[in-house]
Amino acid sequence: MKINRPQRKYKSIDLLPLINVVFLLILFVLIAGRPTTDHPQQIEVAISRQDTAYQAAPLSVRLGADDKFYLKSDDPQSLGAIAELIAAQGVAEQGLPVELIADRRAHASALMDFRRAMAEAGIGEIRIKTEYAPEQKNGD
Amino acid sequence: MRIERPRRKLEAVGLTPLIDMIFLLLLFFLLGSDFVRFTQSQLAPPRGTGGEQGVSQPAIIALAATGALQWNGASISRVDMQSRATDLLQADAEQLFVVMPAAAAEVQQVVGVMDDLAAAGAQAVTLERDVFDIDLSDF
Repeated sequence: MKINRPQRKYKSIDLLPLINVVFLLILFVLIAGRPTTDHPQQIEVAISRQDTAYQAAPLSVRLGADDKFYLKSDDPQSLGAIAELIAAQGVAEQGLPVELIADRRAHASALMDFRRAMAEAGIGEIRIKTEYAPEQKNGD
Repeated sequence: MRIERPRRKLEAVGLTPLIDMIFLLLLFFLLGSDFVRFTQSQLAPPRGTGGEQGVSQPAIIALAATGALQWNGASISRVDMQSRATDLLQADAEQLFVVMPAAAAEVQQVVGVMDDLAAAGAQAVTLERDVFDIDLSDF
């Protein structure tokens, strides 16, 4: 005996709301996100509570957790070589700042060596790149 | 005479490729973006090497590797340091603060002290290795 089952009606799902939501998600990520900034040498910059606008400087020097200084390449540079580059680029003559992207685990001795070398090279302002975290309690 | 034209069949546009592309875009932006907000701490030039001459004596803050602080040689808490810095800045807005971190102190600790001073309103914070590096003839 053949049983006649009622045929199910396949209703098509309306995909427009899904597309709308995904487009909104893309918009959100585009506006709120920024291109990923992975610093070489796996540098993790210090956490800061200062809410200052970040401005990139014409010359960036990286200070790794190994207390060594780097420019664009992965080869460590001496402070003398960095000072020579500053002189060659005329950074000090133009009164421009130098940016230091320092790992939070680096030691203060390297930081002070850098500060002293930059002062001798004629650099007036050093900007230490930090990551903003308003509720972070540094060292407490 | 009536000409009968063949009726066009309206074919539904397939949305699947569009959705695929949108999801790929979403994945790309999600993986390629971060929400980290970068800021910066400014380090003033040391006096005697191009810095402007100050009016007041610099406040010297020593930072030990343990995080302990000393203000002009006397132990002080971070809260007290901040309130004392605020008092000094009310008298002289251009008051210079010299942070002397121990060699073994970490950059994060130094930035923490600079944050506290900046929160008190300090605009001139510099680093020195020890008190003998400060050129007192400039003050």
